[in-house]
Amino acid sequence: MTTVKLYGLLAEYKDPSALIHAAEKLRDAGYKNFETYSPFPIHGMDSAMGIKDSVLGWIVVACGATGLASAIALQTWVSVSAYRVVTSGKLLFSFQAFVPVCFELMVLFAGFGAVFGMFALNGLPKLYHPLFKNHRFRTATSHGFFVTVESSDSRFSLEGTARFLQEIGGLSVEVVEE
Amino acid sequence: MSSSTKVPRLSGFLASTLPKISFLLGGLSLALTAVLWRGNPHHTAFSYLFSFLFFLSITLGSLFFVIIQHLTRAGWSVVLRRIPETFAMNAWVMAVFFLPILFGIHELYHWTHADVVAADPILQGKAGYLNIKFFLVRAVLFLGAWVWMARYFYKKSVKQDSSGDPKLTLSMQAFSAAAILIFAITLTFGIIDWAMSLTPHWYSTMFGVYFFAGSAVAAFAIMSLVALTLRRFGYLKDIIRVEHYHDVAKFLYGLNIFWAYVSFSQYFLIWYANIPEESVWFMQHFNGSWNTVAATLAIGHFFVPFLIFMSKHTRRNLTAHCAMMVWFLVMHCLDIYWLIMPNITPNGIHISVSDISSFVGIGGIYIGFFWLRLRNASLIPVQDPRLPESLRHHT
Repeated sequence: MTTVKLYGLLAEYKDPSALIHAAEKLRDAGYKNFETYSPFPIHGMDSAMGIKDSVLGWIVVACGATGLASAIALQTWVSVSAYRVVTSGKLLFSFQAFVPVCFELMVLFAGFGAVFGMFALNGLPKLYHPLFKNHRFRTATSHGFFVTVESSDSRFSLEGTARFLQEIGGLSVEVVEE
Repeated sequence: MSSSTKVPRLSGFLASTLPKISFLLGGLSLALTAVLWRGNPHHTAFSYLFSFLFFLSITLGSLFFVIIQHLTRAGWSVVLRRIPETFAMNAWVMAVFFLPILFGIHELYHWTHADVVAADPILQGKAGYLNIKFFLVRAVLFLGAWVWMARYFYKKSVKQDSSGDPKLTLSMQAFSAAAILIFAITLTFGIIDWAMSLTPHWYSTMFGVYFFAGSAVAAFAIMSLVALTLRRFGYLKDIIRVEHYHDVAKFLYGLNIFWAYVSFSQYFLIWYANIPEESVWFMQHFNGSWNTVAATLAIGHFFVPFLIFMSKHTRRNLTAHCAMMVWFLVMHCLDIYWLIMPNITPNGIHISVSDISSFVGIGGIYIGFFWLRLRNASLIPVQDPRLPESLRHHT
């Protein structure tokens, strides 16, 4: 018989304000590996959960700068060294003519950085998640407000965390298996 | 609405002393400008036109802000709207300040000289449009349309402060669709008349959009600065919050990229085609130290703010935010200066006394009337149906 691994605990909360309140309590209690789920975004949830600013912006900036640099390098190499064609009397190195391509490549690379960086930071694509098995959790897309605390958290204990989730307003607390 | 009791009226320094100082400074500077005009009408007329267009751009950018909020039924901006509404109401001040341009029409626009037109086949071809009579009719139409639209939005908005009638919001929304069309047409043709016809052989279809983009940036910047001034004096501290400043900064950031896009496109197409009657304008505006001014605009109006203002930390830090808004206004001022002044000092930038006196003159009267009007009504539209949304606004 295979032993089932523990994913963590799932608790449902009454409404958005109860969810925010629960997130603040978890954060203050020192929990790190927990997640909240709601049918719509809730303002102030990031700070309630103690989430720091995403590094995605820096990834986008770095990708945009790479795109800009490669556009300048490519066009300079092509125009000045590889194909020295004088077009309508302009200089071989005419930065004006390079601007549209510089802009496009910068935006393209930045766009790739934003989309694929977001995928990577979120661990996507993810074909399986333990919560998919849970029937109660299905209401998270319509009217349910949930918290999960993962067993990987250093403060996690099956009984202690379950009691804590109930103390901070959890309506039902159940175990989620991998 | 309970908040109507919580918003104090403007009083003290901002309501009485500041307008007085502004009027005094403005009046003295205008008197000096008049003296300078007698001495050198040609140069002073151009200095005056530059100052006129700078303050006109703030008026029109503010009118744009008001129209676009109604057009999109925006809720976030309600607490800010009274400021641009009041700036737009200065349209009549600009209409009065237009009169000296009529006195200087022969100094400014050489297509108004019959002997010049007689010797110039291109100007003869344009004479059906570019003649003094039609120029006057258009000026009356444009200035009249701006005064009318500004009054429409301001009067209804202030009326709602006391009546609380949501129908006023509906009628402003309905009018905003027509207003944005009238705004776009009058602004485009107005700036063609007053700035582009300084070089009547030259034409650019981007010119109106270029002026509009800069105007919007300037108007957003001055709106933020007025709100920060009010904050400094203890007004609206919990009403216009960092969330609102953040959104103004984002909007302005987009408009500034639009300014860069339009100004570069105008230059790029003309540079690429390199047709004499199109490139003549850039030859003139890149001559001598004007080239440095153009480069300063590209770097200072676009690249520097593009990098500095990208971060939300700069946008939300009110000290940095304030510094950036002042920066944008300075850059917009330089932009208008670069548009107009190469016509009079073709060899390079040369700031003269009449530039400063006409700028302070028009600016003093303009700012004075702004604060006077601001004290006459509530500082925010207290009964606007979307005010609660704005008060709760969170980016």
